[in-house]
Amino acid sequence: MKLVGIAGSVADKSYNRLLLKFIATHFSDTVDVEILDIQDVPMFNQSDDQTNSDAVQYLSHKIQQADGVIIATPEHNHTITAALKSVIEWLSFSIHPLSGKPVMIVGASYYDQGSSRAQLNLRQILESPGVDAVVMPGNEFLLGEVKDAFDDQHNLKDPRTVGFLKETLEKFVKFVKVINTMNGPVEDDSWKSEDLEAHGKVETTIEGVDMHAADWVEQAAAKTHAAEGDDTVKLDRGVLTVNQLNYFLNSMPMELTYADANNQFIYYNHNADAKDMMAARTPAQAGNPMADCHPKRAIPHVQQVIHMLRTGKTDLFKLPVPGNGPEKYIMHYYQAMHDAKGEYKGINEFVLDILPIVKYYLAHTGQVLAKDPNAKADAISGASAKSADAKPDSVSGASADAEPEQPDEVSAASADPEPVKPEVDSVSGASSNDN
Amino acid sequence: MHKFIAIVGTNSDQSTNRKLLQFMQKHFADQAAIELVEIKDLPMFNKPENKQVPAAATAIAEKIDQADGVIISTPEYDHSAPAVLMNALEWLSFHIHPFVDKPVMIIGASYGSLGTSRAQAHLRQILDSPELRARIMPSSEFLLGHSLQAFDEDGNLIDAQKLAKLTGLFTDFQTFVDITAELNHANEANRQEVQNVNWDKL
Repeated sequence: MKLVGIAGSVADKSYNRLLLKFIATHFSDTVDVEILDIQDVPMFNQSDDQTNSDAVQYLSHKIQQADGVIIATPEHNHTITAALKSVIEWLSFSIHPLSGKPVMIVGASYYDQGSSRAQLNLRQILESPGVDAVVMPGNEFLLGEVKDAFDDQHNLKDPRTVGFLKETLEKFVKFVKVINTMNGPVEDDSWKSEDLEAHGKVETTIEGVDMHAADWVEQAAAKTHAAEGDDTVKLDRGVLTVNQLNYFLNSMPMELTYADANNQFIYYNHNADAKDMMAARTPAQAGNPMADCHPKRAIPHVQQVIHMLRTGKTDLFKLPVPGNGPEKYIMHYYQAMHDAKGEYKGINEFVLDILPIVKYYLAHTGQVLAKDPNAKADAISGASAKSADAKPDSVSGASADAEPEQPDEVSAASADPEPVKPEVDSVSGASSNDN
Repeated sequence: MHKFIAIVGTNSDQSTNRKLLQFMQKHFADQAAIELVEIKDLPMFNKPENKQVPAAATAIAEKIDQADGVIISTPEYDHSAPAVLMNALEWLSFHIHPFVDKPVMIIGASYGSLGTSRAQAHLRQILDSPELRARIMPSSEFLLGHSLQAFDEDGNLIDAQKLAKLTGLFTDFQTFVDITAELNHANEANRQEVQNVNWDKL
C-alpha cells in the first residue's frame, strides 16, 4: 500500500516531520510511506492562482497516485499552521486531489495536548466539501511532550506509544482499502482535468483581453481586427458578408452557443433578450470562461459532459429540461465540433423546443400521442424534476456518473440566475467562499 | 473617539471583506477612527529559530498596541479562516503579543448565504488561545451572506436590516471596549503568562 505523508510545518526543525519519518521507517513492512515537502508552496491567494506551480502540482500528483494520506500537524494558536492550511486551500481551489482520499491525522506537540485542537480543526477542514477527504474516524494519535519522545536514533522511546501507533496504522490500512473499494474500481476521473476557468489557450484564443469583461466582444474584435458588417467571409461552402451570416444565424429556430476547445463561451446567436430565451444569455457573458456561466455545484457535471465530447465518448449529449409546463419540451443539445482532421474544436450547444415539431407532425399525419404502458418515465411531459433524474437513454456512452443531477446545471453558458442555495457554500472549496 | 485597527482577512485583490471594512470606516467615521490593515505582505510563518519577527508584523503589532480595539473581517475557506489570516495571527503571537486583552470584533462576508459562520467560530477559537489571549466580543456575529450583491456602487451596504444589525454591533463593540478597559485586574498576570508561553515549550 502506497501512502504519502505530509508534515504540517515549514519550520526547519519539526517533530511532526520526525514522527512521519519514524512511521515511514519503522512500519515499512506494513506500508510504503513517501514524505512530501510543503516548504516551497506559496501562500494561497485566490487572485494569484498558482495551482500550476511545481510545488502544488507535485503535491497533487503524489496525492492522486497514493492510496492514502497521513498528515502530521503541529498546533499553533489552537489550530493548524497557516502553512498547512495554505496547502489545503491550493488543493481545494481549482484542483481537488484529496477528494475521496482516505486520510489519517496524527500530531505532535511540545506540551501535553499533543495537538488535540489542531487535529479536530484539521478534521473539520478536510471534511469541507471543497476538500472532500475521507478522514478516518476515531483513533486519535496525540503525541504530547514530544521533545522527550524520541531517542538519539529518532525512534519513539515508549513501546506503548509505538504499539498504539502500530494499531492505529493497521486500522488505517483497512480503512484505506474499504474507502478505495467504496470509491469504485479505479474510477476514471480524467474529466476533472477540464478547466472551466479556461486558463489554457487554443490557437484561436484571443489573448490580452479579459474574458470576464462585459465588452469582451468589442475588445476582442478590436484586437483581432475582426471582419464585420459588409466584409465578406469565405465559408464551406459559400461566401457571405458578416451581416448575412448574422441574419442567417439569428434566424435559426433555436438558440445557438459556441464554446471553444478552451472552454470559453465565445458566441451566441443574439436574437432575443435573456428573459425571452429558453436558456438565458446576456451580451456581457460572451467571452466568459464556462465556469462563470454555471453555479458551482454544477461544475463537475459540466466538466463530465465536456470531457465526454472532447474525448469522443459521445458526439452528441442530449438533455431534456423540465419545468416549462406541458406546452413546451425544451431540449439542450451539446454537439461536439471537429476540424477536418477530427480534432476537437469545441461545443455547439443548441437549445430548442421540440414540442411544436412533434405537434406539427401529429397534426399532419393524423396521429395522436398515446402513453406507452411500458415506459418508466413520463415520456411526454418531462415536466417533473424527477424525470430528469431518470437515466436519459439518449446519452450514448455516458456513464451513470456523468449524468447530471439537474438538467439546467449542464446547460452551457446558461445565464439562469441560479438561486444560491445554502449548500452552494458547502460545495465550494477555497474558491467560492469569498474573500 | 475610539481608534480601531481593521484587519482585512485576505490577500485577494477583490474582496467583499475589504469592502465591508471600507464601508464601516466611512459610515462610522463620526464615531470612531478606523484604519484598515492588510496582511498580504507577511512571509509564511516558519517559526524561525532566531526568533526574528518580520518588520511587517511588528508594524501591525505597533498599530494594534496603539488602538483601542481590533475589527477582523474574515472570508471562509474550507470551513475555516484563510491561511493568510492564520499566518498573520501566528506572527502576531510569536514573541510579540499585541492581542493580549485587546477587544476584538469579528465579522465576515461570503458570496454564498452562510456569511462565514464557520470561519468566525474558528477565528474565535484561535484568538482565545493562550498565545493570543484576545478579548473577543461575546455572543455576537455579523454574517454577511451574498456579499457580491450586498453593496451599491458607492460601496454602501444596501440591506437596511443588515445595516441596523452592524450599527448595533458596532455600538456594542464601543461599549465592550469601555467595559473591557474596566476589566483590568488580571491584565498584568495575563501579560506575564503570555510572556511565559514560550513557542519553544508549546
